[in-house]
Amino acid sequence: MSTQNKENFSFKKYAWNQFKKDKIALVCLYLLFSLVVLAVLAPYIANERPLYADYKGYKLYPAFASESRTDSIFKSDGKLDEILQYDITDWRTLDFNKVVWAPIPYSPSTMDRYNRDYVSPSGKQRFKNKNGEITDAPSRFRHKLGTDGIGRDLAAGLIHGTRISLMVGLVSMGIASLIGIFLGALAGFFGDNKLKMPRIKYYFTLIGLFFGLFYGFGHRKYALADGFSNGIMSGMIELMLSILVLVLAIVLFRFLSRLIKVDKLQEETFVPIDTFVSRGIELLNSIPRLLLIITITAVVERSIWIVMIIIGITGWTGIARFTRAELLRIRSLEFVQAAESLGYSAKRTIFKHALPNALAPVFISIAFGIASAILIESGLSFLGIGVPDDIVTWGSLLNLGRQNLEAWWLIIYPGMAIFITITIYNMIAEASRDALDPRLKS
Amino acid sequence: MLKYTIERVLTFIPMLIAISLLSFVISINAPGDPVERLAKSAESEGSAQEQSGASKKIKAELRKKLGLDLPIFYFSVSNLSTSDTLYRIQDKYHKATLEHLTHKSGNWAKVSDYYKELLSLQKVHMKLNSKDIFESQTELELNTINEAVNQVGFEINNLLETSEEELIDLSFSKIDDKLSNFSFLSSLNSSFENVKKYKNEINISEDKWRTYVPKINWYGSKNQYHLWLFGNGKDRKGLLRGDFGISYIDSQPISTKIWQKIGISFSLSLISILLAYLISIPIGIYSAHKKDSAVDKGFSLVLFILYSMPSFFVGTLLLLQFANPDNLAWFPVSGIQDPTLFDPEWSFWTKIKHRMPFLILPIITYTYGSFAFLSRIMRVGMIDVVSQDYIRTARAKGLGEKKVILKHALRNSLLPIITVFAAIFPMAIGGSIIIEVIFSIPGMGVEVYNSILNYDYPMIITVFTISGFLTMLGYLVADILYAVVDPRISYK
Repeated sequence: MSTQNKENFSFKKYAWNQFKKDKIALVCLYLLFSLVVLAVLAPYIANERPLYADYKGYKLYPAFASESRTDSIFKSDGKLDEILQYDITDWRTLDFNKVVWAPIPYSPSTMDRYNRDYVSPSGKQRFKNKNGEITDAPSRFRHKLGTDGIGRDLAAGLIHGTRISLMVGLVSMGIASLIGIFLGALAGFFGDNKLKMPRIKYYFTLIGLFFGLFYGFGHRKYALADGFSNGIMSGMIELMLSILVLVLAIVLFRFLSRLIKVDKLQEETFVPIDTFVSRGIELLNSIPRLLLIITITAVVERSIWIVMIIIGITGWTGIARFTRAELLRIRSLEFVQAAESLGYSAKRTIFKHALPNALAPVFISIAFGIASAILIESGLSFLGIGVPDDIVTWGSLLNLGRQNLEAWWLIIYPGMAIFITITIYNMIAEASRDALDPRLKS
Repeated sequence: MLKYTIERVLTFIPMLIAISLLSFVISINAPGDPVERLAKSAESEGSAQEQSGASKKIKAELRKKLGLDLPIFYFSVSNLSTSDTLYRIQDKYHKATLEHLTHKSGNWAKVSDYYKELLSLQKVHMKLNSKDIFESQTELELNTINEAVNQVGFEINNLLETSEEELIDLSFSKIDDKLSNFSFLSSLNSSFENVKKYKNEINISEDKWRTYVPKINWYGSKNQYHLWLFGNGKDRKGLLRGDFGISYIDSQPISTKIWQKIGISFSLSLISILLAYLISIPIGIYSAHKKDSAVDKGFSLVLFILYSMPSFFVGTLLLLQFANPDNLAWFPVSGIQDPTLFDPEWSFWTKIKHRMPFLILPIITYTYGSFAFLSRIMRVGMIDVVSQDYIRTARAKGLGEKKVILKHALRNSLLPIITVFAAIFPMAIGGSIIIEVIFSIPGMGVEVYNSILNYDYPMIITVFTISGFLTMLGYLVADILYAVVDPRISYK
């Protein structure tokens, strides 16, 4: 960095300046930022529990507390008055001294039984007030974007759907970029005729791979299954352990190979890593992606996390192709050759010198990838495949609208949310393509 | 050229094998037992005893027919403790139990003893007849006896299907309880003691190390994958000869079901792709020609927005606007024909005329996505071509602008969009699931959708395999066509 500062030129600065010239893209970047803020603050923007409440002298912050919390309310003489169970209390019927409601005073999955059957945003909405009478909803408690068939608030659903959509983009493309950048870098840097190792080492690596898979995944399959049935976190820990076993086995066998000294087996041989990766990309590209995802979701459990993982592991090919192409170009540049001639290890050359200079075009591919991941997820939830029914997403809301065309608000608002998010990502991707890589400019 | 073609075809074969392996792996991991599902639809009536005997026979036959009595693949990797005959056990759940128990103890012989004893316990239990017991004694009521017998049977079944220590202990204690309370169950005693003994032996066996030693079993060509792919020369013809198996829903051959539905999906995708080409090529040419003009910028923005519109949103919006009595009811909401009016005797044109209103909205939805995409590609390709030297030469020698663009530039800029045409065959078989579901078009997309909702795995896997195959074929043909059409492309 310091050398770049001396010459007062940095590629990052240049690219940012280029990007800023595109005013629409800049607006999109701000919009994306506000979407992220919206997603992070979703539980405080749309919540049926008040943000702050002064109840019988107690100061409560129900929206910030965990759902399972209970509070005991005592009378002034110290006798127990009532017990507030946060998840089942009907907060609207309580007699507060002072209360601050969330901007949207509904949670996404609670059913308002007075406003069932597709209540329109402008239509008559009913409300049960503190005295238990059914009246017209006061404007504070109106469902501003209407409700669905079982009385869930659309606005709350949209806000929380933002969370899921952004998560899908982030998690799935995170997985895809890890796989894609790693494989693409290997393939591009080594090609077919650069990764050399003694034959014996090559064979032992393969044997190590076999044993690693056997002990890491074959032998641990019940541990893995138990882990995942206990929840995504423990499953992930088990998975990490398995991968650790795999890596250890490979390292061990590579080490063992040094102990064997047979001249004939010491000959250097090429590992055609580029062929492996390119064939893998070709294979994955030749299967219609949506069909592949749908087929896999049909045989695994229904879970939003699994959908994200599947989108990720089927979506790395574009990233790998870009990384590979970029590293093919970079590996013949002077600074990489300098690093190699200084005797740096391949690992250091790739990850410290070559890869950081190759990431700009990859970033574009990731941005486009996020848009398509969001599109796929909302398509799946629109069809009701893969994502569990109790999770409210933009796609599932739109699906409710399709089933009842009279509820136009269930079509327009979720659809626009999906459309706007995808447009934002596509715009940012296009603009950063123009900024980062003028060669690709269309 | 020939060498390139041959090389390309040769790489095609391992890819096909890879696709078939991928779909096979997915299909054997599908949850549930196909035999149970197929047997359910073929179940005969009769008393409980008869029925279980008959259904067992049906199940065994089905298992044989589906090849489930065979090992899964040519070889398998397991460990020293497991038996290479495990695949012969019929029940999928029993198999899983045994596998897990062996994994925990490392001693297949003991587990096998335990399993056999459990089966014989079940057999003895089957022979118990509540009525006979009721008649042979006087103290207990028929209901109590029935309940006790059923409870024990239930627990034995549980034991066969669980490998968790806590659940096994629970079942043991429950059976113990029943055996000590009811003397009429005494015939089960000896067998049950044996079961407990064997279970205990499993627990104390110290062969866990055996699970850490890998073992490779070789089965040869008599396996499920081989059968699925090549058939057995008798009742199964194999995937390669067009036998895709039978549907779990109605036991119909998959190929028949596909042939019934593919026509509509194919014609829809063909029409929409052609339309997309017809619209996008002129737009692409025009905006490339007038690059950076207001019209070009306008087109670019509109195309960009269309490109970002999800097709399911557009489809639903069209329905909301044009097939909705509240707004404009110009088109029918769903289907491809009015069943009350439609007459299969009609001539071809009458049928088309009748179906037209049903198809307009789907075709619009189908077309717009690929049209935005194609126009953008076309524009970029055209801009690229127009800046080439030979176009400058053509202009320099005084050719009219029209001729330069339409004759010299157009042909070369068409190349990139050839590839897209290759995608229409897989699109036909997979159908556009989302669009067909929105408009309820009875094509392949809806078929796939329904088979997913009903867990009809043979159908899903078949569609998956065929569309992978067709996509690869499309790429192959496109690549070769490329090489034929464009002499500049040299494949080394």
